[in-house]
Amino acid sequence: MADEGDGKRPLLRVVPGGSEGSARREEEALLAAFLVGDDEAFGALVRRHEKLVLSLVRRYARTPEDARDLAQRTFLRAFEAARRALRRGVLEEGAVPFRRWLIRIAVNLGKNHLRDALRFTHTSLESVPEERLGTEPPGAAAALEHAQRAARVRAAVLELPRRQREVLTLRVDAELPFAEVAAALSITENAARVSFHHALQKLKALVGEDSL
Amino acid sequence: MKPECRDLEVLRSLAAAGALDGDEAARLAAHLAGCPACRAAEQADRALLDLVKLPPPGPAEALATADLPARALAALRARGRRRHALLRFGTAGGVALAVAAAVLLLLAPVLFRDRAPEPPAVAQAGWQEPDVDALWTESAVLELSDDAASTGDTWGDDALAAYDAWAGE
Repeated sequence: MADEGDGKRPLLRVVPGGSEGSARREEEALLAAFLVGDDEAFGALVRRHEKLVLSLVRRYARTPEDARDLAQRTFLRAFEAARRALRRGVLEEGAVPFRRWLIRIAVNLGKNHLRDALRFTHTSLESVPEERLGTEPPGAAAALEHAQRAARVRAAVLELPRRQREVLTLRVDAELPFAEVAAALSITENAARVSFHHALQKLKALVGEDSL
Repeated sequence: MKPECRDLEVLRSLAAAGALDGDEAARLAAHLAGCPACRAAEQADRALLDLVKLPPPGPAEALATADLPARALAALRARGRRRHALLRFGTAGGVALAVAAAVLLLLAPVLFRDRAPEPPAVAQAGWQEPDVDALWTESAVLELSDDAASTGDTWGDDALAAYDAWAGE
């Protein structure tokens, strides 16, 4: 590895999972720079992906600080994984599926955080719809009722079976295409689509269709 | 529910999520145009997914996450410092242990030469000529003595005197 003093830059290629062209080359260059010791490249990569990662972890966070800490841990683990993969030479043809790693790590950390948080009273960020309430139809009662329905549905999302929850949140929270959802979870695209459908059906059963 | 409706359930869910296009979207649209039940179901799915969505980040959340890149970078650098410190400590400790082991090997003959283990007591006990006289004395049941009283010869003398008196001597 280059940061071990052999003087060679690592041969690697980032697989950003959808973005093409110059953005992809930029990301390759940034990750390569980070892996040879350029910490500023790390900051640039965080800025590039922070929206995606935050969108994934905030569903599991109880406070804004929770979301920030989960996102930070996601980035550190992904970079550590990239560094180790390069050191051990396990990269396939030099490719680093960095964005895919970020998604996977964010989902796993969120799941673990949820597991830990369930030991206490869980109040996630979505139960504080500070801006959403303002967009509701006029009338405090209607707004309150809508907020309560939303809170019930979002609580039910966290009760879904793991695979269904992952597929649903990757699609809804991160707005990923199903091909990328499938790649992140190492399943087929068709399996991801069917899991999404099952998640919706299960959600309806959990909250009761008449409450919608 | 008609069989065709059942066949299109997955596509309906995907359409509610805005993830359908091309031939599949056209096929579903054709079905929905003539199936009020599926149209209603699709609207219900859209409403449900709308409730699943998280509200956009509020000011507090935006503020808390504004410095994420700087914080992450600081954490990365701190982690690097800890790793290097551990590496240095580990290297120094390893060198110290190696030096200590080498010194111990060199000094081992000196350290342990004068501390040869003493032979066990059994090994020390060799054959010695026994002192026969002492053995005899120690093992004697009766102590021999010239003193008549102590030897019982008095009884013999008295008997002899009595015999002499009877015999008229």
